[in-house]
Amino acid sequence: MLEIKNLHAKVEGKAILKGVDLTINDGEVHVLMGPNGSGKSTLSNVLVGNPKYEVTEGSISFNGKDLLAMKPEDRAHEGIFMSFQAPTEIPGVSMTNFMRAAVNAKRTYFGQEPMSASDFLKLLREKRKLVGLDAHFMGRGVNEGFSGGERKRNEIFQMAVLEPTFSILDETDSGLDVDALRIVAEGFNQLRTEKTSAMVITHYQRMLDYLKPDFVHVLVNGRVVRSGSAQLGYDIEEKGFEWIIEEAEKQ
Amino acid sequence: MSAIQQYLDLFASQRTVIEDGSCSTMNAERQAAFDNLQQHGLPTQKVERYKYTDLEKALTPNYGLNLKRIPLSVDPYKAYRCSLPKMNADVAYVVNDTVVPATLSFHENAEFIKPYYNRLATQQRDAVSELNTMLAQDGILIHIPAGKKLERPLQIVNISAATIDFMSNRRVLIVVEEGAEGTILFCDESPTEQRSLTTQVVEIFAGKNSKLHLYALEETADTHTHLSNMYIEQQERSEVTFNGMTLHNGITRNMMDVHLVGRHAAINAYGAVIANAQEHVDNNILIDHNAEECTSDLLYKYVLDDKSVGAFAGKVLVQAGAQKTASQETNSNLCVSPDARAYAQPMLEIYADDVKCNHGSTVGKLDENALFYMRQRGIPEPEARLLLQHAFINDVLQHVTLEPLQERLSHLVELRFRGELRHCDGCKMQNFCN
Repeated sequence: MLEIKNLHAKVEGKAILKGVDLTINDGEVHVLMGPNGSGKSTLSNVLVGNPKYEVTEGSISFNGKDLLAMKPEDRAHEGIFMSFQAPTEIPGVSMTNFMRAAVNAKRTYFGQEPMSASDFLKLLREKRKLVGLDAHFMGRGVNEGFSGGERKRNEIFQMAVLEPTFSILDETDSGLDVDALRIVAEGFNQLRTEKTSAMVITHYQRMLDYLKPDFVHVLVNGRVVRSGSAQLGYDIEEKGFEWIIEEAEKQ
Repeated sequence: MSAIQQYLDLFASQRTVIEDGSCSTMNAERQAAFDNLQQHGLPTQKVERYKYTDLEKALTPNYGLNLKRIPLSVDPYKAYRCSLPKMNADVAYVVNDTVVPATLSFHENAEFIKPYYNRLATQQRDAVSELNTMLAQDGILIHIPAGKKLERPLQIVNISAATIDFMSNRRVLIVVEEGAEGTILFCDESPTEQRSLTTQVVEIFAGKNSKLHLYALEETADTHTHLSNMYIEQQERSEVTFNGMTLHNGITRNMMDVHLVGRHAAINAYGAVIANAQEHVDNNILIDHNAEECTSDLLYKYVLDDKSVGAFAGKVLVQAGAQKTASQETNSNLCVSPDARAYAQPMLEIYADDVKCNHGSTVGKLDENALFYMRQRGIPEPEARLLLQHAFINDVLQHVTLEPLQERLSHLVELRFRGELRHCDGCKMQNFCN
């Protein structure tokens, strides 16, 4: 599904990614760990085409297509979704209008008619239940006046509506209490299929418990220095990153 | 030679023609206006209130005037139909400066208007008002007698249209007597592509306990210059709400002077400006708190694209006796192109010591983070920009309480941002000049 080769990228003139190689197949969940500043969020932002991030070398292929040549909105239509670490407030644009624009843009991209009002409202209702988001949020501005937990739930709600094939969860668990984390993780798990994949950035063991990832990768100084099974995540939880960094420096 | 000279010469040579086509009340004010203009000329941009609009330049072209009162060749009720759904408004027309129906004209109400005409407009000896007073030949009177409530909104369609470059001087008098209520909507249209200039003087007298909701919607051509001065005097417990929308225009300067002279009077003024290309919109407001416990609420928002210029100057003046004044003034500007210019000048001048006054302004760009968030969800960039701009202007539209109008405006704003608006497509406009 996703093939990242020798990816170099910088933000505000500073080189952050220094040769990332990563392959993610259909149905797999990959967890990305690493110390602060190692490039996890940069990698996520490059994948979704954030214009603040500049790719200087390397390639990304998504289902055989050159991802880096695509506009952010087209990447979304092709099936890429990112749950933002700090979802933006958009005062004055109601959640309903926002989602309608998103849903219909995707349909237009694939040559389909816009969704009827009744079908659309039904879809919202159904997906809201998944993450326990109350109906009144739909009339509010996007993330306007949402608590931290509500914002994260809102991200998973949007993911449920847009049905991406590849999702990036950028510290979706941060700032959540135990119950909120469970709702978000269970919501995410319900959306998983054999055809959908995900890249999850997290610092917490609890997330590993819920997601049961297929692979864990450790990013240090802009490169993947170690990959392993879910067990690697638990080892890091226990021992920290130091030993991995030391081993990486030896090689 | 100053641009004003041609108007002074015109008046001097055509005075008889002008006066023959007008009424005694209007004629009585002309000489003083002429004298003042001759003595002081036009204000330059060094004069505070004309800082953002070059009056000299606006008045330089040689415009024709319909001094001989050539009658309209068409019936505006047939040629112009506004199909705003569910508005159910009574409609009157001012075509250039001809009032239809004539029963609302100053001509037919010369005695009634006498105690009101030019009483507010002449106070500041403003050049645009004086020019209008010197040349205007007719006006429209809206009189709501004491205790009466207008059942339907009154829509006044101002049309500037001719086959030559032309000038029209329009006069409006609104008298809302004690306890009276009404909603009035002005639509300004200029369906022809000729160069045109309109001066407009609106005087509003809001009696005790009266309520007036005034909407002004401008959708004129880029060849049009619109100089409007509005004066409002409010008595005790009167409430005036003004919504001004400039959706399409050439050069526009809207001046508004509000005098709160009775206790507990309230003025709310909300404005939205959408400008692109070389459009120029200048809103210059004075709120004069001259009685105790009055309130004023101002919210003006501008979205400026291309090389457009938006100016806002709002001065809240709290006189020494105006204790317990509550005033709120906000001006926000969104410059969506690097070449657009916004001038924001909110001002407070307070001579009383027990008041609650806030004022503030912002000038900013579209939120890049919000833009990217929307694109990540698949919303194409132009659509995302449109949604953000619409959201920005939306809190001004929320103050439009006439529901069909709010829906209409929301639709027009969207068309405008899409670049598809020439004028309100509710208008079924025929050529007025055949």
